[in-house]
Amino acid sequence: MRVLRLAFMNFRNSFRSYLSLVLSLAFTILILFNFQNLIYSGPFAVLGERNKQYIDMLVETVSVVLGCFMFFFLWYATNVFLTRRKREIGIYIFMGMSNRKIGRLYVIEISFVGVTALAAGIGSGALLGGLFQMIMSAVSDIAVDVRFGVSWKAVNVTGVSFLAMYFFFALKGYWNITHSSVLNMISAARQNEYVRMPMAALSAKAALGAAVLSAGYYLANKGGRQSMLNNALLAVVLVIAGVYLLFGGLIPLAFQTLSANKHFLYRGQRCLWVNQMVFRMRKNYRTYAMVCIVGICSVTALATGFAMKERYHNIVRFDNQYTFQLLTNQSGLGEKASALIGGAGDIACQTSLTALSLDQDHLVLKYSEVKRVAQERGERFDLSEPADDETVYLAYQILMSLIVHEKPYPVTIGGKAYLATRTVRDAYIGYMQRDMGCFYVVSDREYERLKEQGTMLYIHNYKLADDMDFAAARAAVDTLISNTDENFTARVAVDPFDNDKDWIKALHSLCIFMFLVFVVACGCIMFMKLYNDSFEEKERYLVLRKLGIPSGTIGASIAQELLSAYMLPFAVMAVSAYFSVHALGRMMHTSLFSIYVVSTLAVFAVFVLCYMLSVAVYRKNVL
Amino acid sequence: MITREVKKSKMNDNKVVEIKNLIKSYGAKDFQTTVLKGIDLTIYKNDFIAIMGPSGSGKTTLLNILSTIDKPTQGMVTLDGHDVTHISNRELAKLRKDKIGFVFQDYNLLDTMTLQDNIALPLALDGAPAKKILDRTRELAAAFGLEAQLRKYPYQLSGGQKQRGAVCRALITEPEIIFADEPTGALDSRAGKDLLHCLCRVNESGQATILMVTHDPHCASYAKDVYLLSDGMMKCRISRGSDRKEFYNRIIDLQTSIGGDFA
Repeated sequence: MRVLRLAFMNFRNSFRSYLSLVLSLAFTILILFNFQNLIYSGPFAVLGERNKQYIDMLVETVSVVLGCFMFFFLWYATNVFLTRRKREIGIYIFMGMSNRKIGRLYVIEISFVGVTALAAGIGSGALLGGLFQMIMSAVSDIAVDVRFGVSWKAVNVTGVSFLAMYFFFALKGYWNITHSSVLNMISAARQNEYVRMPMAALSAKAALGAAVLSAGYYLANKGGRQSMLNNALLAVVLVIAGVYLLFGGLIPLAFQTLSANKHFLYRGQRCLWVNQMVFRMRKNYRTYAMVCIVGICSVTALATGFAMKERYHNIVRFDNQYTFQLLTNQSGLGEKASALIGGAGDIACQTSLTALSLDQDHLVLKYSEVKRVAQERGERFDLSEPADDETVYLAYQILMSLIVHEKPYPVTIGGKAYLATRTVRDAYIGYMQRDMGCFYVVSDREYERLKEQGTMLYIHNYKLADDMDFAAARAAVDTLISNTDENFTARVAVDPFDNDKDWIKALHSLCIFMFLVFVVACGCIMFMKLYNDSFEEKERYLVLRKLGIPSGTIGASIAQELLSAYMLPFAVMAVSAYFSVHALGRMMHTSLFSIYVVSTLAVFAVFVLCYMLSVAVYRKNVL
Repeated sequence: MITREVKKSKMNDNKVVEIKNLIKSYGAKDFQTTVLKGIDLTIYKNDFIAIMGPSGSGKTTLLNILSTIDKPTQGMVTLDGHDVTHISNRELAKLRKDKIGFVFQDYNLLDTMTLQDNIALPLALDGAPAKKILDRTRELAAAFGLEAQLRKYPYQLSGGQKQRGAVCRALITEPEIIFADEPTGALDSRAGKDLLHCLCRVNESGQATILMVTHDPHCASYAKDVYLLSDGMMKCRISRGSDRKEFYNRIIDLQTSIGGDFA
């Protein structure tokens, strides 16, 4: 009972210093709760059964990532808390308390923190749930019926998973305390802070870090059909290890070198903040590395989200290039179809071209006809005419592919060997191009030569002006098809209201969600770390004030120090994220550079916000 | 007569600190405690003054007011010609930075930086050229026997070395006056003696005017003048002369005659 009271008094009296931990945990809970609320309130139901399989898979994946994130975040947060409390509660040893009793005190205190954070997280989650769903709906274009209610299942899942992980770490702390020596407990907060690291060890670590990181970047962008996935996985491991080594080696080395150069150091506040960085680096480098890695995840998640949205629109645009397409061996069918479709609704555009069927797997198109059709439809056309022994394969928009190198490859069409020099993913003959996947463009001369060997087919494409006429027009086209020989005529009808690709939109919104998770985590970790540091630094800044150093000078030094603390992980993150987004772009066969820039700027904006908040709070705490 | 006038005028020119009728009270209107009850004191350039007094006599309050950390209730304090009771906080901070050097009982070196950087810090923050800072740091470190310790961190230094480093830091900006608050309070007798020798040396070489607050008669005996503060008032002043041991005995006698807890 007495321990309980003591723990409660400690919690109440030190609430201000626990605030950063409570807020950070509450943020994590808020995120988890909103995600659960999102699942259980069923906004994705509007996407229909056809998307369900994909959505379930995505939700499961995100849940696993979120669970892992929460696990590691709690690990970090409780560790920071334990280190701080250890020294203070270690004093109880002198009051005759046993390690076990101190351990119990710790568990009760941390339970107060956990329960407060849980209440704050779920409370704010319930209040902001509707807003959260609205934001998700707005960014993902999914028409969600926003509900402001709270799903009890979400409360239960969030509460149980948080408390299970949290108490696991609380018990870990208990074990740690019961197995710690008095000296260890009292000096815990100051451990590893004083000693400068030897330059030789730092140099070795820095060189190793640079090598490992470079290897990671190289592997992330290395091609290869079979090894792409393995390379990507290995790259992730190497980048994580490289970032840790970089922050543990190169960056302390750089700061130690700067502090040794007195001509650099003795300029304004540098003497204060550079030394402060050197002093703190040994303790903080893991935090910076962690923030950097989480930052890379946030940029990559946001870039993936943006890329998915762009890709979704491209795929939809590709597939909906034409509403109806006919492939027939009968000349003159185009006019009939045009009349029938025109009768049902206005035709916005119609094009025709011929194709040669030389074998079962390939349809050959004439270069000049493809060019004409593309121009009639207003598509970009940058193909140059292939040589007589070359061909260009008309592929389709893909979501992602592990085959990142599209090298020229040999292809035999109608018994003749060609070199497929390019694979084009622009829409020239719409959905049919994706559906059949057998169109090859040859030069006009080659096409004329092949005419004698193959069967001539006619492709007619129609785009309706008004999607609402689709049903009537399809009925009309179907009448036409029933009057022709099915063996020689194929009809493609693209329903403009079909939503079978809407799961990509959901993927986009989940990526945005993950971005929010990661970026909030970055902010929380940095904020929490600096908030704690400010308490430890209070005495030091008091000395500076006693020495007559103006508050403005101290404030400027704090701003510089915190700027370095935020910008170092950001800089390494920006470079690493470039490679990860580049690798993603290669898998999506598109350049994501502009998306990378936008995503990085978004993370930068969040960092700037957190930086300003940290500076204000830090100054308030120490001045 | 003319010589006396010239001497007086020269003395006035050399005034570093002047205190007139200094009163400091704490508490609410009806429950006020007056800690300093009308102190008058003038400190001239190159003075080495020790202020002694029993616990609660107002030593620390006087030092806080002189070092501009606290404000008086009444009276005037001028530092290098500036009335510190009537200037803005900004000017006060500048005055503190440019004109005053501080030495504290618990050293107050920053554990984040080497001794060299600790000493150099005030000049670096002042925007002095790096070369000048380096030269001055080495010069002071040599004078205080700290050359070999410059690259060390405070936790690697002894108490005496730390305090000598703190004196170097106080001296680096060439302040008008150094305020030392129980500078030997945390040192053993050997380290305390070393420090006091150093302080004497810089004072005698004309590099520093020192006002030291101490309860230790041995420490006070290194000063040129000792003022005895008791019950918020300056009771008397004694000057050293040439023999420090004899001066020490006089301080002890004075302390005994005043009584009170000097610990």
